Amino acid sequence: MAIHERSLVEPERILRKERLVIDGVDVSGDWNLIILPRTINDYDLSFYEEVVAQPEGKTIVNCYQCSYCTASCPVHNYWDERYNPRHFIYLARLGLIDELQKRADVMWRCVSCHKCTHRCPKGVLVEEVLKAILRVMAKRGLIEEYPSKKFDKFFMDVVYEYGRIEDGELLFGWIEKQGYKVVKDPVLKKPIPFMGGVPEWLKQLAVKPIKNLNIDFLLLNAKHMLFHPRTKNWNRFKQVLRKVMEEEGVFTH
Amino acid sequence: MAKSVLVIGGGPAGLSAARTLGKLGIHTILIEKEQKLGGRPILEDYHTLIPRRMTPQQVIGPFIEEVQNLPTVDVKLETELESCEGEAPNFRVKLSNGEEHEVGAIVVATGFQHFDAKRKGELGYSIYPDVITNLELEQMFSRDGKLYRPSNGELPKRVAFVFCVGSRDRQLGVTNVHCCRYGCALSGLQGSEIREKYPEVDVFCYYMDVRTYGTWEYPFYWEPQEKYGVRYVRGRIAEITYNPQDGRLRVKHEDTIVQRPAEVPMDLVVLVLGMEPSEGTKKVAKILGLAQDPDSQFLVPSEESGSNIVSNRPGIFIAGACKGPIDIESSLAEGEAAGAEAATFIGAKVSA
Repeated sequence: MAIHERSLVEPERILRKERLVIDGVDVSGDWNLIILPRTINDYDLSFYEEVVAQPEGKTIVNCYQCSYCTASCPVHNYWDERYNPRHFIYLARLGLIDELQKRADVMWRCVSCHKCTHRCPKGVLVEEVLKAILRVMAKRGLIEEYPSKKFDKFFMDVVYEYGRIEDGELLFGWIEKQGYKVVKDPVLKKPIPFMGGVPEWLKQLAVKPIKNLNIDFLLLNAKHMLFHPRTKNWNRFKQVLRKVMEEEGVFTH
Repeated sequence: MAKSVLVIGGGPAGLSAARTLGKLGIHTILIEKEQKLGGRPILEDYHTLIPRRMTPQQVIGPFIEEVQNLPTVDVKLETELESCEGEAPNFRVKLSNGEEHEVGAIVVATGFQHFDAKRKGELGYSIYPDVITNLELEQMFSRDGKLYRPSNGELPKRVAFVFCVGSRDRQLGVTNVHCCRYGCALSGLQGSEIREKYPEVDVFCYYMDVRTYGTWEYPFYWEPQEKYGVRYVRGRIAEITYNPQDGRLRVKHEDTIVQRPAEVPMDLVVLVLGMEPSEGTKKVAKILGLAQDPDSQFLVPSEESGSNIVSNRPGIFIAGACKGPIDIESSLAEGEAAGAEAATFIGAKVSA
């Protein structure tokens, strides 16, 4: 059977079977198409319990859905209407997981301006509550880990390796992780700057100091990129650091 | 000049009017059609009264006792008004017990009655035993001292409050379009009481908007959520069904925030009843020629007066829930005001 207004039905709610038997009756053929209802059948209240059990999630109980937060939210106002802190709180309180999941792609987009928390008439710490919601979602595998955490981890790896922020390697190593082809020197296996795929914004960034004849800056960067300096006696410190990190269970290498 | 005042109705408003008049030394006849004074809260065993969380005995008990002990107040139970002739200040009233009296002023405090939930057939009241009214929940607390599902006597896992049953509803005709005023607050209180005693029970309030006006906002809306974890879901319950497979009810509604239809399992559903003028109010209005709201049939105050206890007929004062939904403490205050007004109307003077 054809659906004449297919645009009204989300594809995931349309079920078509080659062979379909319902209550012993073979309905294959014309009646093999089913539209699943939009109905909410139950709440998952354990989701809310997990949110409210976290220190950051406590104030979720205060929300009375006035939407002062969303009205103040720059992400909602200028980017995507689906980013709606007020609505996330409502969905989390009733544990409407599928609705939260529909918004998983935008839920990390908080820019931490804290207008929501600052203005909330009921004392909800909105930004913290949303982090608590996201943490529960991540724990349950409903959402990918915060994307910027990937960079955080790479950043820490570089610091662990050199005892300092090594600009060249951080920058080009990260670019490599983004899928650009990076050329590496055969000895140290470190990326050689600008010798491969380079994003446009980075080219712009490099052109500026050249145009301005900022010689000191260029020399310093060139030196670092070639010799990969480390903090003095870093290897000894690194061992201590490794031990401490292992003891605290945060060592991930 | 006649020196007696007739008070019709022995509920909160009537009692406080009779008490004020009696204490001023004015001969007062208090008639009550039931066998007992106290009105709905006493007759129907309310558990806790909003907004002060006191029992009906604590609030209305002292008024009953004082009225019964005042030599100036003549209490006549199981008595109704039959007819009234004449104009103020010489009303000649005939009572159902055959007595006739001449009174200088009348205080009408004939009250309200609860909406009959059977009229909303889609909500399944009297069909499914686990659909009860908020009055029955009060009685569950006050008479049985525990929360249970009438169908099996067990503690419900989930309780739903369905707001505005018999209120704000044109489907019932023009008679029930008003707000009941007390329902949101009482549900907040009942929900809090449930959560305090049974923290394992989840409580849901299904609302269109929450009208805990004035100082009731904090104790009956914020506190239930913040302190007791009562959940508020926006959407009016349109249908209640029963699922024989799990023996639970389903509340059918649209969650108007999520904008999706929902049929959620519940173990006990509490219908929050609206208020209507009592039969007595409608009857007395006809006998005394009092102005009524053409829609709700509640009594309406005089158009010339800014005070809401002054009726359209000189010498007749109206107090309490006969004029529309009202809480107990305001009923008591209106009764006191109406009593004092009646006293000044018949020219009573306080002697030094």
